[in-house]
Order: sequence, then structure tokens, then C-alpha cells
Amino acid sequence: MTGAELSFYLFGGLAVFSALAMVTRKNAVVAAMWLIATFLSVAACYVLAQATFLSAIQVIVYAGAVMVLFVFVIMVVDVDATGRLTHRRPSRVGRLAYYGGFLLSAGFLAWVLVGTLARQYVTFGAELEPGSDFGTARGLGREIFTDYVFPFEAVSLLLVAAVIGAVVVARSRKEREHAARHLADPAARHAAGLGTAAEGEIAPPGPSPATDFGEPSATGHRGI
Amino acid sequence: MVPITHFLYLAILLFLIGVGGVLLRRNALFVLMSIELMLNAANVALVAFSRLHGNHDGQVFAFFVIAVAAAEAAVGLAIIVAIFRSRDDVDIDDLGLLRD
Repeated sequence: MTGAELSFYLFGGLAVFSALAMVTRKNAVVAAMWLIATFLSVAACYVLAQATFLSAIQVIVYAGAVMVLFVFVIMVVDVDATGRLTHRRPSRVGRLAYYGGFLLSAGFLAWVLVGTLARQYVTFGAELEPGSDFGTARGLGREIFTDYVFPFEAVSLLLVAAVIGAVVVARSRKEREHAARHLADPAARHAAGLGTAAEGEIAPPGPSPATDFGEPSATGHRGI
Repeated sequence: MVPITHFLYLAILLFLIGVGGVLLRRNALFVLMSIELMLNAANVALVAFSRLHGNHDGQVFAFFVIAVAAAEAAVGLAIIVAIFRSRDDVDIDDLGLLRD
């Protein structure tokens, strides 16, 4: 077994192990750390497939930026480390989803593994001449900015839209009210995600103005 | 040299673990993290096929998938924050507003 093969199985096994650890953790921060370990191991596997530029992108964008975003949101949302939610008895639909999901996953796994492991295909990749720019920033950049320039621009547009959308969705009600305080037109206030009544009027009946998701539910959630 | 088939096994295993996470976990944060894992598994398969054919197309697609995954994480996490503001937890079983 060569060094490349040895490191592939090492990092591949590490990726699978940390992925399993990620889905089974109760504490969301620990799960995020295991997910970072998975991403780093997958980045190592990219190097072994000669995708060096993508490996760097994986470390910077995934293990760096995306996971920092996750950890920030966990800081805001998931203050409870004990897994309080899992102690509650699930609803009938929840139990059904549990067992159905488990059966579906197990069936998928059995189907795929039996289907592929029964016939041992061993496929090697194309021959690359040494010194070719396969997988480097140079080779990939030439491809992106010639054949794929329109998808590239579309992706940049998508990222701008996602950033604006994320900011708009995550703004608090107070901030939105402050931004829309001068709006008297009901349609404009509605577009800003507020009630249609201008200030000083009695809010119309309907979804509770306290939340954006209708009335506070009967199960005791309080609207903020 | 590592056979392409083994990269595909790795992709399958990671994808299945992600599917299990999406189906079995009820915390919306875990569901989002599992989706990221599934996108990563798809990327492994794309990179493996790129290596198989010896051209860059698969890697370019994986690059785009990473960008789209970043956008998806931003919007998804913003929605989780908005839900948490109004409901105080992010248990997906409680989010039946459109169904009720």
C-alpha cells in the first residue's frame, strides 16, 4: 500500500468517524467541532484526488467561514447544552418520522452497499502528465473564467441576494419598526414585515403583532 | 494511486450519515449541519469524477456547490434566528404552522 492510499484511508475513515460523531452529539457546539474535523479530513482527500485549489477553498470557506457562522448562531440559539429537547416525549408524527427515517436510512445503506460492494469495481483516474496544472488555481481559474463565466457571475449574484436576504430575515422587530417608522401606507408597512396599521391606530385583529409566526402557540412558547 | 471507486464509497457513506442526521435529529441546527455534510459528500463525488476524466468540469461544479452551500447556510441560519426570536426553541417538530 502506497503512502497516498494509506493517507486516503486514514483521512476517509477520519471523515466518516467525525461525521458519525457529529450527528450523534447532543451539544451543538461539540457537533460543530466534529463537523469541522469532517471538513478538514475531506479537504485532505481532495488533495489526494489532485484537487489542491478546491482543498484550500474547502478549508477557507467551509471549515472557516461557514462554521464560524454556525458557531455564532449556536451562541445565540442553543444555550441549553443538556439536550433538553430530547427528553420530551415526541409527538405521534415525530415518532413515526423517527422510525420511518431510521428504516429509510438503513434501507438506503443496505441497498447502496450491497449494490456496490457485491461487484468490486476498481477504477483508476485518467493519466495526468507530470507538471500539468490539473486542480491548481491556474487550471481551475482558466476554466471558470472562460467556459463557466456566466454561472460564475450568477453565483456572485446569488451570494449578494443571500446576504441581503439573511440580513432582512434576521433583523429584530424593533429594528424593522425603526426603519419603517415614517411609513404610513399600509402596503408599505406590510412589505416591511409589520402590521398594516400606522402608529397611533389600533392594530387589526389577525396574527399577533408580537410574533412573525402567528399567535404564540398554545404549548407555552412566548413571543418576543 | 487511490481508485476512484473508493472516493465514491466515501461520498456514499458521508451522504448517508447526512441523510440520517436530517431524518433523525429534531434540532434545526443539526438538520442544517447534516445538509452541509450531504453537500460535501456530493462534492467528494464530483471531485472524484473530475479526477476520473482528467478535466476540470467536476471541480468547477464543486466550486459552485461550495458557493451555493455558503448562501444556503447564511439564509438557513437567519431563518433559525428569526424562528428562535419568536418561539424560544428550534425544534422542527413544533414548526407546523403551515400544516395546522
